[in-house]
Amino acid sequence: MKLSTQILLAFALVLILSILDTSSNYILSLKVKENSEFLSKSQEIIRNSGRLHKAIIEMQSSFRGFLLAKDTNFLTGYNEGMKTVPALMNEQRNLVTQNSFQRLLLDSIEFIHKDWMNYANTLILTSQSASEEYWQIFNSKLRKLYGKKLNDRIAEKFQEFDRSEYKIREGHSANLLSSIQTTHRFSFIFFALTIVIGIATTIYIVFLISTRIKSLVSLAENISKGNFSKVIDTRRDELTRLTTSLNTMSESLNKNITELEKRNEELDKFAYVVSHDLKAPIRGIHNVVKWIEEDLKDDVSPRLREYLNIIPERTKRMEDLINGLLAYARLREKTIPQITDVNNLVHNLIQTLVPREIKVKVSILPLFRTEQLKLDQVFSNLISNAVKYTPPENGNIIIKCETLDDFYRFSVKDNGIGIDPEYHDKIFELFQTLREKDDVESTGIGLSIIKRIIEDQHGTIFVMSELGKGAEFIFTWPKEKTIES
Amino acid sequence: MKKIVILLVEDDKLDVISVERSLSKFEMEYELYSAYNGKEALAMLDGPLKLKPPSVILLDLNMPKMNGIEFLRVIRSREAFKNIKVFIMTTSSEMTDRVTTDQLGISGYIIKPLNQDNSKNADSMDAFVQFHLRKILAETV
Repeated sequence: MKLSTQILLAFALVLILSILDTSSNYILSLKVKENSEFLSKSQEIIRNSGRLHKAIIEMQSSFRGFLLAKDTNFLTGYNEGMKTVPALMNEQRNLVTQNSFQRLLLDSIEFIHKDWMNYANTLILTSQSASEEYWQIFNSKLRKLYGKKLNDRIAEKFQEFDRSEYKIREGHSANLLSSIQTTHRFSFIFFALTIVIGIATTIYIVFLISTRIKSLVSLAENISKGNFSKVIDTRRDELTRLTTSLNTMSESLNKNITELEKRNEELDKFAYVVSHDLKAPIRGIHNVVKWIEEDLKDDVSPRLREYLNIIPERTKRMEDLINGLLAYARLREKTIPQITDVNNLVHNLIQTLVPREIKVKVSILPLFRTEQLKLDQVFSNLISNAVKYTPPENGNIIIKCETLDDFYRFSVKDNGIGIDPEYHDKIFELFQTLREKDDVESTGIGLSIIKRIIEDQHGTIFVMSELGKGAEFIFTWPKEKTIES
Repeated sequence: MKKIVILLVEDDKLDVISVERSLSKFEMEYELYSAYNGKEALAMLDGPLKLKPPSVILLDLNMPKMNGIEFLRVIRSREAFKNIKVFIMTTSSEMTDRVTTDQLGISGYIIKPLNQDNSKNADSMDAFVQFHLRKILAETV
């Protein structure tokens, strides 16, 4: 699966959970709103019920006042009630349209009230004329507390009505409480899930990406170290392409380098074979000249003798060149590192290479494990070079060593003819010699050989010199030869 | 006067001359026959040399048509030539062939190039003529 898809999926999941959380809270808020609306309606119902009851009671007390005082002035409250009670009754009916029980209660209140009004009306009408009918009713009904009984029943009905309203209210608030609790529970669960899933997916994606990148980085590091490995990648995401191209790069680098190494090896082999095969004809020429000289002995004219002498000179130079090439071609052959006392090595070389006239000063040189043969080759070349280009009169050679962190820095200094700075780079190139062609001793291979030896050991070499002021060759050489795999 | 018959199997003319010059340096009666490869040498052994088989064969290894080792195999398989002393003329770089030649039975090596000036070298051509050939000549009846 693609990384972006995975990230999008994780975010979608977190988003869905957040939406669920929010919507549950929204539903709760709707319920709370509904409940508060209900509450205000319920309060109005109770209030209305009180007003209605009060209006009826006022009619009753006004009627009672009239009965006692026989004064129609007292009937103002009664007459007013005739108007307000039906209005209030209607209003209340509208408020409780959905509750049949309360509607029934209102009906029965109205019914009883009407009954009472009939009774009260008859009494009021008849009392003015003080007729017999009045007394009849007075005796049969008033005396028997007919009106009071009706009033008590109305009061009872009102109580019942209010109770039922309070009961409904209780039910509602219990409902609301439980839905608040449920919402809280769900909201908590959604919130916790959101956090857990959010953190988990973040960690998972960070882990996924970082491990992938780590493996790529280690691959790149391997490549930079020359270890052309590969990374196996079974996932199919954006990083797979990078892995694939890194793998391809590693593979092609490996192929190229192997090819290059093979070519180098072939070249070395070629140089070796060619120089080896070149030696035989040279030796042949040399032999033939020798035979001619042997056979002719004294019958040779001075001019012919001179010509004949040139041939061995030139074949010797050719042989030197070929030997140099051979040495150059065989440079890469590894020798076994051994404990080397550089003091001994240098002193032996001085004994065989340096004539007595030239003074040599050698500082204390190190003792360490290295490819002795190669170091010997380097010193032998540098010392014989110094001898070659230093006139014996007042000749001076100084050999020094300085200890660096991982390397020794050796230097071979002479006070000979020196080298023009213009040629400082050239002298290390193959077949570069600054001398005339018939100078048999200089083939132009020596310095290029030691440069190659030193660079194979990861050291460096350079020269400090001016024409006529001697030359100092300085090279670094690794301290302890580590075993190469 | 005793005479030693030598067969030289060598394709390089310079080496042939070298051998001739070395032989002529020392007072010794010899008859030298040269062949340029194994095939030619076999033809000589079956032809002109049939009646006087050589007591010594000087054998080069690298030759066209039939090389030294092939030639050696052939003569070692034939009764008539089994006892001829064979000396291999070789460069030091051809050491790897020595195992094979040793197994086929040879009398010694002469190191090429043949004309090294230092006659002290025990493997040089001069040393070979001076010591080995004289000894062989003395032994021949």
